[in-house]
Amino acid sequence: MKKHIYIAALALLFASAFTAFQSSGLKIQDDYYVKFNGGDPAGEFRGLKGLIMFDPDKLEASKFDVSIDVATINTGNGMKNTHAKSEKWLDAEKYPLIKFTSGSIEKAADGYEASGILDMHGVQKEITFPFTFENNVFKGGFEVNRLDYNINTEEPKHGAAVLKVDISVPVEK
Amino acid sequence: MHGLLSGMLASIAALIYDRIYFFATHADFSSILGIQRMISLNIQFCIAIAFLNYLLVNWLKQRGEIFFNFLLTILSFALIIIPISISLPLDIAFPELFPGLAIPMLFFPAIAWYTLGPFFREK
Repeated sequence: MKKHIYIAALALLFASAFTAFQSSGLKIQDDYYVKFNGGDPAGEFRGLKGLIMFDPDKLEASKFDVSIDVATINTGNGMKNTHAKSEKWLDAEKYPLIKFTSGSIEKAADGYEASGILDMHGVQKEITFPFTFENNVFKGGFEVNRLDYNINTEEPKHGAAVLKVDISVPVEK
Repeated sequence: MHGLLSGMLASIAALIYDRIYFFATHADFSSILGIQRMISLNIQFCIAIAFLNYLLVNWLKQRGEIFFNFLLTILSFALIIIPISISLPLDIAFPELFPGLAIPMLFFPAIAWYTLGPFFREK
């Protein structure tokens, strides 16, 4: 009986180690960037975290489940940073993270295409964006309209409404 | 001469203030406001001030000095908009501390000009 318990425990240990290895995904390197540009404002976010699992040969098993820290917004101007984090704009206190969770990743003509939910400012919307994966670096981009996410809808013409987001994420296994 | 010496005095003041600010905050803005840039901006600004003073005093005679003093003060205040509105390169840390460094410096040329003024006043 004791022997069976040891075997079962050993099997469980192997299984959990394998699961941990499977779900750990790719490690995000520090020199990533998540930049946005609407003319005014323009800047970047830091604090990118999450799970990136990607295998070009097994796209159905690939997944992005990542977030960025809203409080890390940097426009290069201290007053604008404070303003952007305030209740009127991104409300970093109430919505501290911007999240993206992929639903599907497919092969496209010039790389890949990820579809999933972008969760920002308490609003979840489905987006699809193209990306490439070369030399262990993910590169992609999309446009986002802040009004779709109820960000300062009272002033639609205050600064840019549509922002171009450029992402570069180097990873290692 | 008044312009050049004012520029040098303003540069010295700016360099001292820059060091004090750095030791107080540990915020490094030398890539956008380095020593050479501070000196050249102060000297250029003070030479422009001297040129403006020369024009106004020659054009408006006695009232020129009064008009010039108002203009220089207003100009120094108006320039505050630059460090407040500028967006620094994204690799510079603590951009919120930049106005604290740059805004006082905007007044150094005017202060230096008025400080040295009595030495250059025509009798």
